[in-house]
Amino acid sequence: MLIEAFAIILGLYMAWNIGANDAANSMATSYGSRALTLKQIIFVATILEFCGAVLAGQRVTSTIAKGIVPISLLDPHLVSIGALAALFSAGFWITVATYYRLPISTSHSIVGAMLGFGLAAVSQNYLRLEDINWAVLMKIVLSWIISPVMGGILAFLIFSLIRFALFSRYDVYRVESVFRYLQVLTACYVAFAHGSNDVANATGPIVAALGFLGRETPIWVLAVGGLGISLGVATWGYRVIETVGKNITELTFTRGFSAEFATATTVLSASMLGMPISTTHTLVGSVVGVGLAGGLASVDLSVLRKIIISWLVTVPVAAGLAIAIYTLMVIFV
Amino acid sequence: MRFLRSVTDIFGYSPFEPIRQHAEICGRAVGLLQKQFHAYRRGDFAEVERLREEIDELEHEADKIKTEIRKRVTKSLMLLVDRNDLLNFLSFQDKIINYCEHVGHMLTFRVVKTAPEDIWDEFDILLAKIMETVNEYEEMVDHISRLLATSFNKKEIEAVLEHVSEVEKLEHECDMIQIGLHRKLFNSDGMNPLDVHLMVEWVVHLGEIANNTARAADRFRTMILGK
Repeated sequence: MLIEAFAIILGLYMAWNIGANDAANSMATSYGSRALTLKQIIFVATILEFCGAVLAGQRVTSTIAKGIVPISLLDPHLVSIGALAALFSAGFWITVATYYRLPISTSHSIVGAMLGFGLAAVSQNYLRLEDINWAVLMKIVLSWIISPVMGGILAFLIFSLIRFALFSRYDVYRVESVFRYLQVLTACYVAFAHGSNDVANATGPIVAALGFLGRETPIWVLAVGGLGISLGVATWGYRVIETVGKNITELTFTRGFSAEFATATTVLSASMLGMPISTTHTLVGSVVGVGLAGGLASVDLSVLRKIIISWLVTVPVAAGLAIAIYTLMVIFV
Repeated sequence: MRFLRSVTDIFGYSPFEPIRQHAEICGRAVGLLQKQFHAYRRGDFAEVERLREEIDELEHEADKIKTEIRKRVTKSLMLLVDRNDLLNFLSFQDKIINYCEHVGHMLTFRVVKTAPEDIWDEFDILLAKIMETVNEYEEMVDHISRLLATSFNKKEIEAVLEHVSEVEKLEHECDMIQIGLHRKLFNSDGMNPLDVHLMVEWVVHLGEIANNTARAADRFRTMILGK
């Protein structure tokens, strides 16, 4: 019982983190272009992140809960400990990385942590190495590579279309003023898509810990995750939105629309396929796409190197931490 | 702010607003130079000295902007224009204000007493024409914002190219005035040779302001079309 309660609390902390930083980053583009005021963004984000989590968070949650480690083969008590260890290590790594401002992904962290739990179970001979679902893991890693690229391609196409169909025919400032309203819609779209994908980073391990092994994720778990995200946006995310948004002044309404539409479409597609991807990395890909289409005066590609390094570091670190914490818990709990 | 993970770094440094500020400073310097010549003609040498200082300060300010741009336009930036084209263009724009500074100093070297009025009138005409050239140039640079807003729309590119041709046309007119001035100066037998020498130097260096404005405009065109 205690373990389950801890899992929910840590899951909430995870969700809060996702709301505070990741949701805020995806929403900051709307603030940067001044399509919405800060209050409006908080309003949109809290409501639509929650809706996305509850209505479309099912599949990714199930991937994280039982897609990587075949938890139905394990003793439920062990699964609870493992899921708790995964939550703990991912949450810890995210906190450290956030403190040092590393552009890491919460999705990568939790996938690495769940893998760590699986490997620990293998080392204790509860599972064979081939029981771990390597095919799903490969698909997930592939989706991490594909998602920023797809965001970039979509954003490139959307902005090119705006450029050649609208800018060449109508006054650019009139086009921008129309897209101000459209960007309100894409802001909602991003919040919904983000909620649907990232909620799983919190709810996946909770579901595993609570022992919903073969069954569908109960709505209330998704609601807890959604609530955590909304709380994160409202209590910390607004500061992040303000800070980040102030630095994104280059993004006009058409550019913001293109980047957001591409990001949200990619992320929601991933949610439908059950793939836990990074929304912020997809957003970075989309921004590069807008830049390649001639939409931005300047894009700094040195960030890409940082992101790739953070990828390579996050999975082993989260996995290693999970193995250590799990082993300690098995000994002492 | 601590506890922040952000994607903002992807939005790189944009040199275009500083470039516009730099061009505006060039325009202001030419305006001051014009005032300095008027003060000189009136015999108000305290004002000539004060304006020289003011132009020096502007040059210093422009230098800081230029250095900042050169430092921050790194290779990892994906700019809308070629990086080398941009830096090349900027170095010519910077020469506009450098020559303003030179001329500003040359006005303090010596008091010319033997120049006839019609030569002074010609200088007024030359300076007015240079001012016109630089004003046109500034309008051209101001156009960057529209180019960026429309992602280098054809119509906007054409509008910019018109400014470039206009700058080149005005620079040619400056050349004609310079030639006339030189001819007059070298035929002013009654003038003190040192006065003639100094004034010829003025003409040459004023000409460089116009020349470099036209060169910068030409490099601007290369940069825009290189896209």
